[in-house]
Amino acid sequence: MSISGLGPHGERAAPADKINLSEVEEAAARKRRFAVAVILHTTTSDWSKQELAGIVTMLGRFGAAVVEVIDCGFDVHAQNDALRRLAKQKLDAVISIPIGNAKVADAHRALAATGTKVVLLDNGPTGLIPGTDYVSVVSGDNFGLGQTAAELLSPWIETGGQIGILSYAADFFATHEREIAFRKWMGDRRPDISIVRGKFQEPGQAAQVASALLDEHSALAGLFAVWDVPATIAARELRARGVKLAITTVDLGNEAAADLANDGLIRGIAAQQPYDQGVAVATITLQALLGKSVAPWIALPGLAVTADNVVEAYQVVWHVPAPEPVARLRLAAVRDQKR
Amino acid sequence: MAPRSEQQVPNKPQGDRRPVGRPKVVDTAQGSLAMLLNLVRTGTATTRQDLERHSELGRASVTDRLATLVLLGLLREGELGTASGGRAPRHMEFCADAAIIPVSIIEASSLAVGLADLGGNLIAEHHEAIDLAAAGPHSTLERLATLFKWMIEENARPAWGIGVALPGAIERTEPFAVPSVRPIQSWGEFPFAEQLTTRFGVPVFVRGGTQAMTMGEFRLGSAAGQSDMLFVNLGRTVSAGVISEGRLHRGAQGAAGLIGSTLVDGQTLDSGAGAEAISDEARRGARSGESRYLNDVLTRNGELSAVDVGHGAELSDEFCRALLSRVGRLVGEALAPLANLLNPSLIVLSGSVAQTGDTLLAAVREAVYRKSHPLVTRDLRIMRSQLGGSAGLAGAAQVVVEELFAQDLLREWVTLGSPLKSTRMLEALVSASGRLSAETVRPTPPVAKSTRPAIRRGGSS
Repeated sequence: MSISGLGPHGERAAPADKINLSEVEEAAARKRRFAVAVILHTTTSDWSKQELAGIVTMLGRFGAAVVEVIDCGFDVHAQNDALRRLAKQKLDAVISIPIGNAKVADAHRALAATGTKVVLLDNGPTGLIPGTDYVSVVSGDNFGLGQTAAELLSPWIETGGQIGILSYAADFFATHEREIAFRKWMGDRRPDISIVRGKFQEPGQAAQVASALLDEHSALAGLFAVWDVPATIAARELRARGVKLAITTVDLGNEAAADLANDGLIRGIAAQQPYDQGVAVATITLQALLGKSVAPWIALPGLAVTADNVVEAYQVVWHVPAPEPVARLRLAAVRDQKR
Repeated sequence: MAPRSEQQVPNKPQGDRRPVGRPKVVDTAQGSLAMLLNLVRTGTATTRQDLERHSELGRASVTDRLATLVLLGLLREGELGTASGGRAPRHMEFCADAAIIPVSIIEASSLAVGLADLGGNLIAEHHEAIDLAAAGPHSTLERLATLFKWMIEENARPAWGIGVALPGAIERTEPFAVPSVRPIQSWGEFPFAEQLTTRFGVPVFVRGGTQAMTMGEFRLGSAAGQSDMLFVNLGRTVSAGVISEGRLHRGAQGAAGLIGSTLVDGQTLDSGAGAEAISDEARRGARSGESRYLNDVLTRNGELSAVDVGHGAELSDEFCRALLSRVGRLVGEALAPLANLLNPSLIVLSGSVAQTGDTLLAAVREAVYRKSHPLVTRDLRIMRSQLGGSAGLAGAAQVVVEELFAQDLLREWVTLGSPLKSTRMLEALVSASGRLSAETVRPTPPVAKSTRPAIRRGGSS
């Protein structure tokens, strides 16, 4: 799959799978034993765990230590505090996923000004300049993910139907891009569908927001949630209310994958590849630390996942076999075919 | 009224002497309100004492005018300053968040939108790929309007003006006048600016893309603090923007900087160094097998761009490196005479071709230094744009800010609290509506859309 979206400053994406260390760079990295910290919005989601696994594996392979992993708990202030603290520690590099936009820009800029290489995941806050305030943004193709989620939802919606978007209220580049792309795809290909929206401040509110949307728009035939955690929370709520509608989302988390495999409400997932993204961001970090010029926007394509290919997609995304409840369904399908 | 320069300076009394005669009370109030607002807005003076000194108004007048500007929601009390023997002075702050400015830059292969505050600082931006030639003016306008509407809804603040940068040169117009935009031949008489003006009910300021990028880089990017800069946009075509002695040079018709037709080595700069020329050469290299990297990318994506060539050069692909060196030399040789003519302190390279990395930059430097007078190159810096694709958005925002807060316009609306209430704005809206109803909009053939997928109802897939 090619990359559909452009970078935070309109950059065309450099392909992540072409980024490798040369033998000379590998040796140089091992010799210099870099120290790196990682700041994430949360460390508890499946996406974060895989992202972190990719980062630490790649850095560890080439002698770089991850000396601290910080969970900001979706809190802008916690992230700013962490960045200011790290600025005093004179680390070689910090890999960070900026939680907000303008609210965390200054703290990232100040960290870069100390000489620490700042490499960003998913989000380049407006006002930060690549090459000066950060090295590069390494991201999933969020625009492409939004388009894929729309394409997966479309077949479940009758002509003239209505759908809802569960939108993240924070000023966050990645989720904005998904929503913009989702709306664009629907506007271009399914102009008959009307779209309403509910916003959640944090994922836990997704149940309440989905419920309110449904109260206000009883004919709702589908939902798009901008990532899997609010999608599964909304799905639980809708199931409890006895509502059956189609949901699509982004990220192949365990609960979303199980719902998809078990004929639940989730009908399609635009999956990121967080492990591979972690490997890519670690490689870029090492290259930047070795003084190599790197592209300002590096993106990984998404995968379109349905119940048909969820087991294989799980293997590609997570680099492990699909969990038993997901794999069991596929096994049953294989048995049915052989009968 | 003659068109003003892009450079807006707060209104200080001109010359050494005060104007002769006693102005009417209302003029004095509006003029002094506008002057004080601009002094604070530009950071020239922010304490009462400094404002008195810069405005030459008395203490009572300054206090009265500041209270009015606070009531109008244009200024607010800020932090305490440093005391210099006595009570610490209180700074006044410009309410840059009182409204927003939607901005856009539309290029041959991309459309970017953003929101800026009234200080001209970008607070949000989004870029997406388009094919401008295939999309046509109608769907481009619809897409732009959809994105503007979404961004304005997200922000929940009123818009006071829209800034748009379009490919090519835009003729000069009066401030607030709705410009007839014909930047792209195929757009014909399409009333682009009129449509935007009437849909959003705000003034629309249109500039050429390169001039907007030049403004953005000059105010917020690598040229901040410089007074003489040559900005070069290396996109599908090649064009330049000139900042001379702190002012953007627009030219007699607003068409300054169209350097793409300059002949170098028997070919125009556009045909030798434009993004399309590079893509054509890249496709040839991919198909002939001269570049394995480009061959891989072409196989995977079905297309090649100048940026792919840049990625290839960074990955040590010899074909890509040689191609970018040749392009860089052409650009450098075209820029050297301009450097000799203008003596800039900075040359900034931008556009998709400039994103290709260090190989091109090194070749440009080498050619400029080789072909220019030593005095011209003694302190000359040549660098890539810091703002990149955001420069056009930042520049479009600067254009709107400078137009809205131009002293003569500001005097008209400052007591109303918003430029949207000014007589001139209302006249512009009427004019745009009139032109819309008078002009026959040529229908654009619908763009072919792929077949809608079949409806599925329930059940597992």
